Amino acid sequence: MLQAYWYMTKMRLLTSLAYRFEVFASVGTNLILMLASVFLWKAAYGGGTQQINALSLQDLTTYTVLSIMLASVFVCGVQDTIYYKIREGQIVTDFYRPIPLLACYLADDLGGMLSAMINKVIPLFVFAALFFGVPWPASLAGFLLFIPSCLLSYAILWLLSALIGLIAFWVMELGNMGMVKDSIVRVLSGSIVPLWFFPESVQTVSKFLPFQYTYQTPLGIYIGNIGIQDALAAMGVQFIWVALLFILLAACWKRTKSKTLIQGG
Amino acid sequence: MEAVIEVNDLVKEYIITKKESGLRGALKGLLFPEKKTVRGVDGITFSIAQGEIVGYIGPNGAGKSTTIKMLTGILHPTSGSIKVCGISPQADRKSVVRKLGVVFGQRTQLYWDLRLGESFELLRRIYQIDKETYEDNLSILTDVLKLQEFIHTPVRQLSLGQRMRGDIAAAMLHSPSILFLDEPTIGLDADAKHAIRLFIKEINQKRGVTVILTTHDLDDVEQLCSRLVVVNHGKVVEDGPMVSLIHKLAPHRLLVVELQHPFSDLTHPLAEIIKQDGLKIWYKFEKDRISAAQLISELSQKLPIQDLSVKEPNIEDAIREVYKTT
Repeated sequence: MLQAYWYMTKMRLLTSLAYRFEVFASVGTNLILMLASVFLWKAAYGGGTQQINALSLQDLTTYTVLSIMLASVFVCGVQDTIYYKIREGQIVTDFYRPIPLLACYLADDLGGMLSAMINKVIPLFVFAALFFGVPWPASLAGFLLFIPSCLLSYAILWLLSALIGLIAFWVMELGNMGMVKDSIVRVLSGSIVPLWFFPESVQTVSKFLPFQYTYQTPLGIYIGNIGIQDALAAMGVQFIWVALLFILLAACWKRTKSKTLIQGG
Repeated sequence: MEAVIEVNDLVKEYIITKKESGLRGALKGLLFPEKKTVRGVDGITFSIAQGEIVGYIGPNGAGKSTTIKMLTGILHPTSGSIKVCGISPQADRKSVVRKLGVVFGQRTQLYWDLRLGESFELLRRIYQIDKETYEDNLSILTDVLKLQEFIHTPVRQLSLGQRMRGDIAAAMLHSPSILFLDEPTIGLDADAKHAIRLFIKEINQKRGVTVILTTHDLDDVEQLCSRLVVVNHGKVVEDGPMVSLIHKLAPHRLLVVELQHPFSDLTHPLAEIIKQDGLKIWYKFEKDRISAAQLISELSQKLPIQDLSVKEPNIEDAIREVYKTT
C-alpha cells in the first residue's frame, strides 16, 4: 500500500518537473509579487531605520521572501481534484480501487510539493539572495523549529482544503468556495502582512482560528520574532489544530461517503 | 455451476426534487421543494454462474448502470440483497472490488499524465499484485491487446481505441474473476471492436472469467453473449439464452420476393405485406402458422417470381419487440 502512495508521489513529482512553462510562469509571478511586497515595506519604513513592533526592515524582507516561497511549496490541489473528479464523474473509478481516496490525493499533493521545492523554491531563493541578500534565519534553533512548524502548517492547510473539497460532494457546484477560502487564508494567515500589524481585536480573534498558524507561526519562528518558548507553545497549538481538523475531516468523509453511496450523489 | 453473482429483489429508489420552469417555478422550488420518489431499479432478481458471458441490456435509463453500481458496491440498494462471490459488496466493498475488473467505455481509470505502462505499475502497487503474476498478466495482455506500440505513450495522447484497450488491460491486471464491461466498444472502429471482442472471448474461455456486458451495440451481444438479461423500467423483462429469446420475441420471418413484372393480386391469407418497393415485396409470416416452404410454393403458383429470399429475425428485432411491448 505504501508503495502505491510512494509511486503516486514519485509520478506527480516527475510529471510536475516536466511542465516547464508552468514553472516559468509561477516563478515569474512570485518574483514580481516578492519584489512588489518588499518595495512596499521599504516605502512604509520610509527609508528610515525606525522600528515598528520591534521588526526591522530586514526581518520583514526575510518574512515576505519566505512567505512567498512557502506559498509555492504548500501545494493543496485536493479541493480542485475532488471538484473536477466529481464534475466529470471520474470519482467513480477511484471508488473502484481498494485504496483510500483521500490518502491518494495527499500522496499526489506531496509529489507536487517535492517538485515545487526543486523547481520553484530554488530559483526564487537565488533571485531573492541576488536582490535582497540571503534571507538567513535569526538563529540555528529558529531554523530547526521552522522545519517541523512548516510541516504542521502544511497539514492544517491540506486538511482545510480537503474539507472544502468534500463540500463538492454535497452541492455539486463548488463555485467560488475555494477562492473564498484561499483569500481568507491569505489574509488571516499573515502571509501578506503579518498579523502583528493588525488591530488588537483582530489579533485576539485570530488566535482562536487556525489560519495564523499556517504562515505566521513558522515565519515568525524563522525571523526570530517568536522566541523558542513561544515557538514550542505555538507548535503545540498547530498540533491541536491538525488533530481537530483531522477528526473533523474523518467524520465528514465518513458521512459524505455513506451519503454518496446511499443516494448516488 | 456455482453462482458468482446473486441478486435478489433489488430495489433502488431515488428522491428527486421536481423542478418547474420559469422564474416562479424556480422560486417555488427553492422555498417548497417538491420531492418525488423514483424507482430506478424495481425488484430485479437474477443469478449468474461462473464462466458465463451475460449481456445486460435495456434502453437508456432502464436501470442498467444503477444495477452495475450496486453490484460493485459504490451504491447501496434501498432493499434487496446482492452477493458477489458470496460477499455483500455493501458490507465489504474493498474485498469485493479486488475480485472485480470494471471498464467504462465513457470513462478511463488510467492516469491522464502518466504513460500507459506507468499507470499499470501504479495499479500493480494499489492491488498489491506480486511481480511474477503481474509480469505474466501483462505479457499476455500486451500480446492479445497489442499494447506494445503505445505502452510508453502518455495516456492523454492515446486514440480512443488504444485507450480502451489500455483500460481493459488495466482492469484485468489483478486477475479478477468477474469483469464488468459498460459499453466497451462505444465509439470504436470495426478493427478495435473486433480486437476487444476477441479478447473477451479469450479470457472467458481460457481463464473462466465471468463477463457482464452492458451495451447498445447488438453485434457485441450477438457475437459474445450466450445469455441475455433484458431490463426496462427497472424490471427484468426477459432472461434467457439468446437463441430462445429471439425465437420467443420475434417468431416471424421475412420473405422477400422479386417479381418479373407487375402483378395485381399479391395477397396471401397467412402472410402480411409489410413493404413494397417496385417489383420487390416483403412478406412477414409466422413460421408456426405456415412454413417458409409452403408459403413459397403457394405464392409461386400465382406470382411470376424472379427471385426470393427468407430472412431470419436478428437480435435487433427481438430487442425492439421487448422495448415496444413494455
